[in-house]
Amino acid sequence: MMDAGRHPNIELLSYSAVVDVQGYVGNFQVRVKKKPRYIDLTKCTGCGECVKECPVEVDSEFEVGLTKRKAIYRPFAQAIPPAFVIDKRPSPCKSTCPAHIPVQGYIALIGQGKYDKALALIRETTAFVGTLGRVCHHPCELECKRKDVEAPLAICALKRFAYDVAAPTAPPPAPVERVYGEKVAIVGTGPAGLSAAYDLVRMGYGVTVYEALPVAGGMLAVGIPAYRLPKDVLQQEIDYIKALGVEIKLNTPIGRDGGPTLEDLRRDYDAVFLAVGAHRSRQLNVPGEDLPGVLHSTDFLRALNLGQEVKIGKRVAVIGGGNAAIDAARSALRLGSQVTIVYRRSRAEMPAIPAEVDAAEEEGIAFHFLATPVRILGENGRMTAMECIRMELGAPDESGRRRPVPVPSSEFTLEVDTVIVSIGQQPDLAPLAGVEATGWGTLTADPDTMATPVEGVFAGGDAVTGPASAVWAVAAGKRAAESIHRYLRGLDLRQGRVFEWPKAADIQVEIPAGIEKAARREMAALPMAERKSTFKEVELGFTEEEARAEAARCLSCAVCSECQECVKLCEAKAIDHNMREEFVDLEVGTIIVATGFADFDPTRLPQYSYGRSPNILTGMEFERLTSAGGPTGGEILTAEGKVPERVAIIHCVGSRDVNANRHCSRVCCMYALKHAHLVREMTGAEVYEFYMDMRTFGKGYEEFYERVQEDGVIFVRGRGTEVRVREDGKLVVRAEDTNLGRPVSATVDMVILGTGMEARPDADQVARLFGLGRTADGFFAEAHPKLRPVETNTEGVFLAGTCQGPRDVPDTVAHASAAAAQALALMSKGVVTISPTVSHVLTRFCTGCGKCVLACPYNAISLNGDGKAEVNAALCKGCGTCAAACPSDAIVPLHFTDDQLVAQIVGVLQ
Amino acid sequence: MSGDGFEPRIVAFLCNWCSYAGADTAGVSRLELPPNILPVRVMCSGRVSAEMVLKALLSGADGVLVLGCHIGDCHYGSGNHRTVKRIPLLRRLMTYMGIEPDRLRLDWVSGAEAGHFAKITTEFVEAVRALGPLSLPLREDLDTG
Repeated sequence: MMDAGRHPNIELLSYSAVVDVQGYVGNFQVRVKKKPRYIDLTKCTGCGECVKECPVEVDSEFEVGLTKRKAIYRPFAQAIPPAFVIDKRPSPCKSTCPAHIPVQGYIALIGQGKYDKALALIRETTAFVGTLGRVCHHPCELECKRKDVEAPLAICALKRFAYDVAAPTAPPPAPVERVYGEKVAIVGTGPAGLSAAYDLVRMGYGVTVYEALPVAGGMLAVGIPAYRLPKDVLQQEIDYIKALGVEIKLNTPIGRDGGPTLEDLRRDYDAVFLAVGAHRSRQLNVPGEDLPGVLHSTDFLRALNLGQEVKIGKRVAVIGGGNAAIDAARSALRLGSQVTIVYRRSRAEMPAIPAEVDAAEEEGIAFHFLATPVRILGENGRMTAMECIRMELGAPDESGRRRPVPVPSSEFTLEVDTVIVSIGQQPDLAPLAGVEATGWGTLTADPDTMATPVEGVFAGGDAVTGPASAVWAVAAGKRAAESIHRYLRGLDLRQGRVFEWPKAADIQVEIPAGIEKAARREMAALPMAERKSTFKEVELGFTEEEARAEAARCLSCAVCSECQECVKLCEAKAIDHNMREEFVDLEVGTIIVATGFADFDPTRLPQYSYGRSPNILTGMEFERLTSAGGPTGGEILTAEGKVPERVAIIHCVGSRDVNANRHCSRVCCMYALKHAHLVREMTGAEVYEFYMDMRTFGKGYEEFYERVQEDGVIFVRGRGTEVRVREDGKLVVRAEDTNLGRPVSATVDMVILGTGMEARPDADQVARLFGLGRTADGFFAEAHPKLRPVETNTEGVFLAGTCQGPRDVPDTVAHASAAAAQALALMSKGVVTISPTVSHVLTRFCTGCGKCVLACPYNAISLNGDGKAEVNAALCKGCGTCAAACPSDAIVPLHFTDDQLVAQIVGVLQ
Repeated sequence: MSGDGFEPRIVAFLCNWCSYAGADTAGVSRLELPPNILPVRVMCSGRVSAEMVLKALLSGADGVLVLGCHIGDCHYGSGNHRTVKRIPLLRRLMTYMGIEPDRLRLDWVSGAEAGHFAKITTEFVEAVRALGPLSLPLREDLDTG
């Protein structure tokens, strides 16, 4: 293998797949897809340093799952080329996250206790680590594949943990050096505005952010109560952004109260990003709405968050079912009021985060579902009660939720002295003269690039989408930053950008067999008495043990976590996580197919209990166990680490079996004898070998069989019918001894299944690609079973090895050598000899109808520039189907012309 | 119409790879074969055009047998797919011409099916024998060269 890898005339395309084959013998065009290796083969020295810090471990394919490998790995020690490769698959969490935070990366780092690195990794995508770790609605968790085992990972809580444990002690960052002269103005310090500022300042732009309020943070600061997001957490993250060089101008509204106008910003800055949020509350539009005692949740929460005095009554009704309604209700409760939430649909339709609704209920908030206010009643200029009407759910509306309709004459009165209205928010666009608004009262912007119709002005966040979630605003800010960078650099806003990530539902993840269930950890909460009376944070975060245990639940389904640790370790600078697949077009004269076999999967025959005990091994697994480079260093040990005292070997598992494969896999008898010999020699254990016939088909093989008999192996002639796992872990093998004519059984410590060979599962695709036939057993068909065992019916394509049928190493080498010789024979001649029985076009009769082109099974006929049929003699096999199809007798199969056939017909009839 | 001593003459188009080999195997296996079969070898049953079949009937054949590889086993992959479409069409055309369609038969014989070859040929000879000699009033007027 080394020699092949080093040979100057052999180019190995590893980690590649043939995707298309065109042409014919001597002139094949082959298209090869080179999968991204993420490692530059010309730079990688194979030193293996990169592996050291890789946090991801998965089953090693080479060791058939007996040991683990890292996400960055070399398939096996002698691999050619000796370079490493990164196993990177689509990640459901990262794909689903609107901001595409590398979730699997920080989870892997937390799992290893590298909390600083986890925090740094998240900060590469967003500055809002502790914030999102608290307030995110975490759509990633809905798609986490661990849900197929028991429950998704607590991704959001783990992000919070990374912040809580690492951020307070981390030194403040150094300011980023300016790279570009351009300055960007951002309006709004919410998650959208500051995310754009964070990305732009790190790219090297000057960034100024304008804020109308006296505090930065937008809705994070004035919409979300402190018991969900403590002020110091948000402030630390804003300080982090400021430390990088972002200038924030508080108390500076745009287009009103003496602040600069949008026109001013457009003049003074090179680009503008509008992220003004949606702070204006929607009205109820019922009589009595302007009575004192009727508040709006945005005003209520803003006043509360700004530390202003807020007066509410003893009995409070909150109208609405979104997160703002829950926040308002739980805040009112903390101010000492009795709170009822009135929502016009049922609990299932509530847009609020379900955990928030649960928390509100635990704290004692009452719910009034399927009801809506129709009138606020007042007395002496102050509200006294609210009249409501019951609703029922009708047909689904455009949002897919069932539309509530009033039940006639079902009015009832709620005795409350305060109403907090929280039925939706809109952006306040009045001060932003010159921008375009949609029919929903939001800003018009391209959903992909965030560009508005106004040159150099971009917009994103709630101002564009209407009230949404913090992480969507972060995502919008990031997109806008990239667009502004492209705009300022004169680049295309779209080219090469990925706007649509793979859908989590389309990402197939195989849940490892036998995975142990582990309950999802939930954060501890503040005691209920304290919760109800203070604005202290309710959720207390994970302890280190909890976080590590929760992180350990990750299935690592994306394998590579993209934590970038390997990049830091690679001295050769060979790692590039952004590598993409490439296509290589090759022109070749001959093709040798040597795609090998698949090991029979014994779970298809449940009577052998494979998978139910770690001591039931396939032949391949035992092979790795006995290898000096294997998991036990070559010692034959049971899974418990003991030397086995009795071992059973069962032949013909999946071979010569009408319930699996009918064919004989040929090699298993000999490898089973080798295994028996090794067990006897290395452990002295008793070995029972259950066989049907002993097939010692090669030179010296019968002699080896005799030697193994002399080793003292006990041979039982009869198929091993079943393996039972006893409660004490011992294995009971049952069989019929056909020599004795009665059933026998053996109790052993280890069972080796003589698993057979079968065609690879993708053999049909490979067959189609190269135009190969397949025999009834699924292997590729040779041109003749005795006389042409390496040729195929497609000329110029040869078979080598087990893709054509089961064979052992010497036979494979012989077969491969034969294939090489066949290829060389063609090459050394340089020309292809064909049978003279080919078709020929009589051009003067050809009308160019193309019927022959359709009839030809070999695509050997085409219409030339003159519109006449033309036969490629190298492709034509002389079947004559074209002649039978030709309406004008213009195509003639030589040696089987019409005249010749007619003469024969007349001849035989005379 | 079946007269005493009538021996039908059958032109059999045999494909080179399966049916011709099957006929060979039948001979080598010393099976009893009807002497009425007059074989014409073609590379593929797809080569047998309508013209060839009609020519044989006009030239004095009482029946025509077309034998090819089993579907899926065609040496050329899909040559016999053409045949399987063409022969039923031809049988309908023969009805219009006043020739019993059962004088034309399509079947599959692989290289190993010697017994099958013997059975098909014997059956077909008997079927055509029952139909009697093919009388085409215009046969003499047509050019049979």
